[in-house]
Amino acid sequence: MALLEINHVDISYGKTLTVSDCSLTLNEGEICSIVGESGSGKTTVIRAVMGLLPGGGRVSAGDILFEGESLLAYDQKKWRSLRGHEISMIFQDSGAMMNQTRKIGNTFVEYIRTHENISKQEAWKKGTEMLERMRLPDGDRIMHSYPFQLSGGMRQRVGIAMGMTYQPKLLLADEPTSALDVTTQAQIVRQMMELRDEYGTSIILVTHDLGVAAYMGDKIVVMKNGKIEDQGDRDHMLHETENPYTQLLLDAVPSLGGKRYV
Amino acid sequence: MFDETDLILEARHVTRRFPAAGGRELVACNDVNLKFYKGKTLGLVGESGCGKSTFMRFLVWLDTPTEGEILYKGKDITRMKGKELWENRRHIQMVFQDPSTSFNPKMRIRDIVCEPLLNYRRINPSEKDAAARRLLEMVELPGEFADRFPHNMSGGQRQRVAIARALALEPEIIIMDEATSALDVSVQKTIVELITRLQREKSITIGFICHNLGFIQSFAHQVAVMYLGNIVEILPGESVSEKAMHPYTEALIGSVFDTKMDFSKKVVPIRGEPPSPLDVPAGCPFQDRCSRCREICRRERPTLRTVAPDHEVACHLFEKGGSAI
Repeated sequence: MALLEINHVDISYGKTLTVSDCSLTLNEGEICSIVGESGSGKTTVIRAVMGLLPGGGRVSAGDILFEGESLLAYDQKKWRSLRGHEISMIFQDSGAMMNQTRKIGNTFVEYIRTHENISKQEAWKKGTEMLERMRLPDGDRIMHSYPFQLSGGMRQRVGIAMGMTYQPKLLLADEPTSALDVTTQAQIVRQMMELRDEYGTSIILVTHDLGVAAYMGDKIVVMKNGKIEDQGDRDHMLHETENPYTQLLLDAVPSLGGKRYV
Repeated sequence: MFDETDLILEARHVTRRFPAAGGRELVACNDVNLKFYKGKTLGLVGESGCGKSTFMRFLVWLDTPTEGEILYKGKDITRMKGKELWENRRHIQMVFQDPSTSFNPKMRIRDIVCEPLLNYRRINPSEKDAAARRLLEMVELPGEFADRFPHNMSGGQRQRVAIARALALEPEIIIMDEATSALDVSVQKTIVELITRLQREKSITIGFICHNLGFIQSFAHQVAVMYLGNIVEILPGESVSEKAMHPYTEALIGSVFDTKMDFSKKVVPIRGEPPSPLDVPAGCPFQDRCSRCREICRRERPTLRTVAPDHEVACHLFEKGGSAI
């Protein structure tokens, strides 16, 4: 059984159909990259999986199955037990999802204590350990910092550490490296690949960077105007696909020692 | 490849220090020497905070260096004032990263692209329609866009308008600060095609700031790599993938993901993050992240040395005639 199945899903905001007929299957330990231009609906799809469609957004047709169970039938309580434990999400800038006036430790302890019943001291210790496992040296200092005191790469690692606290089966990553420098991007990409190797986490990666998508993804999904334009495994998508839009995107990726304009 | 008679702008020993809290100082640009040639593109690459934007801002008078001089056709532009400054500003224009914040949202596109022309009395207000149409067509936009507001356009279209505005006064140099970073790859490609075409037609000099080495080498004639305020390597764009020598340039190359790479290969990112520009270590600025750091690197700061025609490297590994010791 596939870990996640999205079957012919339509997503609308109010009366506007934003994503139509989207189908996607993800197996355990698999990484799927969703690529597309801005506004193509790629973030909307993973937000629907997490049950986090913003105001007025809803799945208007089709079904989303996680381990064979329909997520659309979930009530608040069931969502709570699922989010963080089974599915978690990393955002483009993890610093922005945290309260700027509270220390990382404060936010992290609250996060842990909503998921399990432990004391503040234990939660603090757990958070520190998690930060150190995600290669943030000196976890205690980071727990005592405010989000704005950390660099973009460090904030993103804090976001990954929070998301991975309960070793979820599925990690949804929404442009996790787009705001970072290339060198930091390479570090984060490598770290996310290691999550799969160490914990067997499946990842859905939303990105507009085809290079990263191709490096990480076993599968690549190309979206355009709210529809899935093309999908397949990596080798097929890079070398064999005949879809003109995919080829257009591939041609646009600058490559070292590749095409020059001058 | 570069002819000294085509030299149009030259930065000599440009240094910029900012005062910081506690009596310390932050050196944003340290002894930067760069040359811009007519009709060529100079790409300036580096991580955020390395001083690349600080440097380019000197060229458009948004800031002045603490030390050093910038010669435009032999005249130091950092000391210009009044009328002379006003007359020279039109030769060097700028395109910013995010056109939605560099335009006045309440102005129509016609007024945006014609404003520089009106400022310099190149046209009468009655000629605005024709001028706007001509400029928009130059950047491959329909002339009717003149009636629009910036928010009615996509990011790529707005960036074209920004290019049209920068080109309105027919400048000799255009500075582009991450002008394509906010755009999708497919749009990025069309913008590059546009600027390289305009460059060929009008032989404009371009200074392009970018953080993606893979992208910049596809259209820059010269690439300068900057790290913590220091230029560590300057080399011709076409030889970036083969001849780059500095360990930092190699690290940047190693961080480029493209669709033609070998996916079985593990990415080997460089360690850590750049240190704070407030406490740059003595010796080589890259020492703490370099895998080939030696004792001399901790003691002495390497200077740029020519290792091949148009290729300079600042690294102790390549002293004595360009081969690693």
